[in-house]
Amino acid sequence: MEEQRQQRLRAQGITKKFGAVTAIENISVTFYSHEITGIVGDNGAGKSTFVKIICGVEQPSRGELYFEGKPVRFRSARDARRAGIEAVHQDLGLIESMSVARNFFLGMEPRKGLLLDVPRMRSETRRRLYELGLRNLKSVDQDVGRLSGGERQAISIGRAVAFEKKVLILDEPTSALSVRETAKVFDYMRGARQQGLAVLAIMHSMRQILDIADRIIVFWHGGLVADLPNQGLTEHLLAECIHSGVPPSQIHL
Amino acid sequence: MSHDTTLKEDDGAFIAESRTARDKVQRLLRARDSSIALAAIILVLLFSVTSGGQFLHAGIWPSILSSTAELGIVSIGVAVLMIGGDFDLSVGANFSFAALVMASLIAHGVSGLLGLAVALSIGLAIGFLNGMITVYLAIPSFVATLGTWLVWVGVTLVVTGGSTVTVLRQSRVLNALGGSVFGAGIRWEVIWWILLGAVMAVVLHRTAFGNAIFAIGGRSQAAREAGIPVRRVRVLNFMICGLCSAAAGAVQLGHLQSMASSYGDYYQLYSIAAAVVGGTVLTGGRGSVFGTMLGALILSMLDAGLILSGVSTFWYQAVVGIIVILAVAMHTRLGRTARGGD
Repeated sequence: MEEQRQQRLRAQGITKKFGAVTAIENISVTFYSHEITGIVGDNGAGKSTFVKIICGVEQPSRGELYFEGKPVRFRSARDARRAGIEAVHQDLGLIESMSVARNFFLGMEPRKGLLLDVPRMRSETRRRLYELGLRNLKSVDQDVGRLSGGERQAISIGRAVAFEKKVLILDEPTSALSVRETAKVFDYMRGARQQGLAVLAIMHSMRQILDIADRIIVFWHGGLVADLPNQGLTEHLLAECIHSGVPPSQIHL
Repeated sequence: MSHDTTLKEDDGAFIAESRTARDKVQRLLRARDSSIALAAIILVLLFSVTSGGQFLHAGIWPSILSSTAELGIVSIGVAVLMIGGDFDLSVGANFSFAALVMASLIAHGVSGLLGLAVALSIGLAIGFLNGMITVYLAIPSFVATLGTWLVWVGVTLVVTGGSTVTVLRQSRVLNALGGSVFGAGIRWEVIWWILLGAVMAVVLHRTAFGNAIFAIGGRSQAAREAGIPVRRVRVLNFMICGLCSAAAGAVQLGHLQSMASSYGDYYQLYSIAAAVVGGTVLTGGRGSVFGTMLGALILSMLDAGLILSGVSTFWYQAVVGIIVILAVAMHTRLGRTARGGD
């Protein structure tokens, strides 16, 4: 897996000021393919501002973004999406009154001439979700409104994989999910990782972060205080780092 | 990949599994169209009894179908718009205005085809205007089109002085729009309604544009995130609705050979009623062309059925009101059953 690892997105000295308030300062970090990065930090630590910048919603006051090695400037969320950065918000961007297959291909519908290629939409959706690990879906014709939270996550993540996105940002993907469903969503995230995406997940549960992330970055008071592989960390160490801003290596228990 | 074949086998097994009897029943229930068709059949049976068999007499059906077609053409446009989450209260005014201009032009010797083209252009333009006002001034369409409705009613009254315009000369175009089909009882407008329904059903249910309409009505934010040009699609929906209203006015002109500003009255409400009876949801995101066509048929059958049953026509509106409420209650209930009873 290591040799396939490629640079996807690099932030260099990103600073964002809102008037006199500095939300984040001098953030430099690189995200790689085939890797799940957990993003943690207290409320107001700057992680959402940072995520908004990399998905084009906010523009940095200073600093540069590099996408696959090339400098980029996202003026809007649309710019970032077009480049291949898919952000899945907590509402998942799905439409409850539409079928699974129609949601999956929304805005990217395969066509045969002027008409939708409905058989392909259905079979592709089924295949993609199956490959991702959603194996007990009754039908791709049912409305998304009938699905569980985990199944909905599968559609959002599956969509990012199917349309060959490079970076997938998940905002609290397992909040409000049962333990079993959380495990399934982790499977989908691993599926996305295996397909070569750089997966970024904002999560509050230390325990879940430690379960799923390959690497963890910690925001504290607008700065990035730790960027570590998920090895030898404990919930306690991580919590301590989030609260004090001291990197785990320097925390003496 | 080596496991591709096993994947396909598993896949097949999993499809077969999903088609259980319970699923089939749910699927059928979810197909609101089938329950609406059932309601229409029940209505026919009911009126057959209450009218002492007169309702089944072939002689009355051409007129039922003609009024169905006129209402139905408006309703198809209204349903498309409603599925996309918008309303148009100006359809009746659009109907009369476009058809009145067409009638005056033809009465003054302009060719029928040009008259029709002008009428349809007026419909498109009114729809465009409604769309621009709603979408770009960010005014709820209900209010925006309430305003344009009154504006067009006023304009129409000023221009015509409230009088009826009758086309005395023969026009092949008018005959082709609303004259009888090869001397039979059925009029061409019925054929146009069915053709329009077929085309719009394909557009709505089998094109990316139709998918976008459902998405916008379902949740416009998500549609926007998926890259759908929400504003453009909404304006187009208003134009489709405006076009349908004007087309309905044109076929009615073909049928009656005359038009007055009052002929379009109530279409804005009955077309919404037809769409709703046909399973279109007021909040958008759900509905079908076929259901809406059945909805228009049900409303027209009510009109004739009540008269033949000896009920005063004054009751018509009251009955339509009750039917609309019943229909919404039924659709809500069915929707809940289909979603697994929440």
